[in-house]
Amino acid sequence: METLKLEIVTPDGQIYCNDVKTVTLPGSEGEFGVLPRHASLVSLLKAGIIDIELTNGEHELVAVDWGHAEVDEAKVTVLADGAVAIVGENESAIADAIEKAKKLIESISDSDVAIAMAEAKIDFIVKQRKY
Amino acid sequence: MANLKEIKRKIKSVENTKKTTRAMKLVSTAKLRRAEMAARKSKVYAQKINEVLSDIAQKINQYKIGGIDSRYFDLKDTIDKVDIVFVTADKGLCGGFNIQTIKQVQILMQEYKDKKIKVRLRAVGRKGVDFFRFQGVELLSSNIGVSSSPDYEKAQEIINKAIVDFENGVTDKVILIHNGYKNMISQELKVVDMVPIEEPKSTQNESLSLMELEPAEDETILNSLMKKYFEYNMYYALIDSLAAEHSARMQAMENATNNASDRVHKLTLAYNKARQESITTELIEIISGVESMK
Repeated sequence: METLKLEIVTPDGQIYCNDVKTVTLPGSEGEFGVLPRHASLVSLLKAGIIDIELTNGEHELVAVDWGHAEVDEAKVTVLADGAVAIVGENESAIADAIEKAKKLIESISDSDVAIAMAEAKIDFIVKQRKY
Repeated sequence: MANLKEIKRKIKSVENTKKTTRAMKLVSTAKLRRAEMAARKSKVYAQKINEVLSDIAQKINQYKIGGIDSRYFDLKDTIDKVDIVFVTADKGLCGGFNIQTIKQVQILMQEYKDKKIKVRLRAVGRKGVDFFRFQGVELLSSNIGVSSSPDYEKAQEIINKAIVDFENGVTDKVILIHNGYKNMISQELKVVDMVPIEEPKSTQNESLSLMELEPAEDETILNSLMKKYFEYNMYYALIDSLAAEHSARMQAMENATNNASDRVHKLTLAYNKARQESITTELIEIISGVESMK
């Protein structure tokens, strides 16, 4: 199966790097999904959640506050100012990460709708994963 | 006897120097650890943003995407004016760290002078500023006190002036020079052509599709990306330079401490010899006195 190489970097270092199936990014003009062989694109990102689908069908989430995404056929590079990956070994680590992610988005976004959307998305995915 | 005192005083002074250099080394070691961490963290981001920009440069030049003011990407053959931004330390006592950067700046200046291209200098760091002032070279801007405590706002301030000039067509090229951190014991001089942005050297992963920009109508995205690119590169140069400065100083002070130890050793030998000599002389005096009384 074809995969995309996804990299998310912030000034604090690399947050995420993996081969993934699809990724959904919070573009400034609206959310968009990227599959392998996507046309080249550079987009501004707004505060929101990057939804990553791994090759085994599982979802992983990364919250970003602001940044750019560069997309080409084989890879997606996200340059963000701040990002929090919602991954962890156990439930409490994940709960911590979710808290941090929510704070990050609240700190940057001034619209309640965006915050609510991001939070709803986190909650939805987390429930799906049956933690 | 006077000689003995003299040597003793010297030993003491060298030992004091040794104490100072050792303390400086320890301070640098501690600071290096922090600076290195900061530099390493930011390295990934700096590399990525450069990669992304050079990718974009390649695509823009390849397809000549209409409507984009590509002064940033336009690799002109003729340039008239170059801005050199260079970073040195605020403090000395770090071996050849500062002079390496300064020499590189001078080489570049000479090169451009031979080609009849005007060069303007923007200095960061007291050592570089002092050097060129002493040489009577005009500096367009000099920033002191930034190198020892880099932060993002200061980096913005420094680079913004250069960028505004470039955007308005006053300059045709901006070069950033700093002495970067390679590992604990070595530094690496880095000369980066910031704008115009060069295309990537390898053309293996040449992308065939046209690039879209989103939002598409205006150049907001390119501008914001460029802004980030400049500021971050400048900021990275500052923290990288700081890490390199500490590693250079650590090494220089280590050498100084070793030299001081050697010196103390040699002086102690000389002191012992001199003491033995004076004892021998005294003995001979006494013995010859006794002999003469017989």
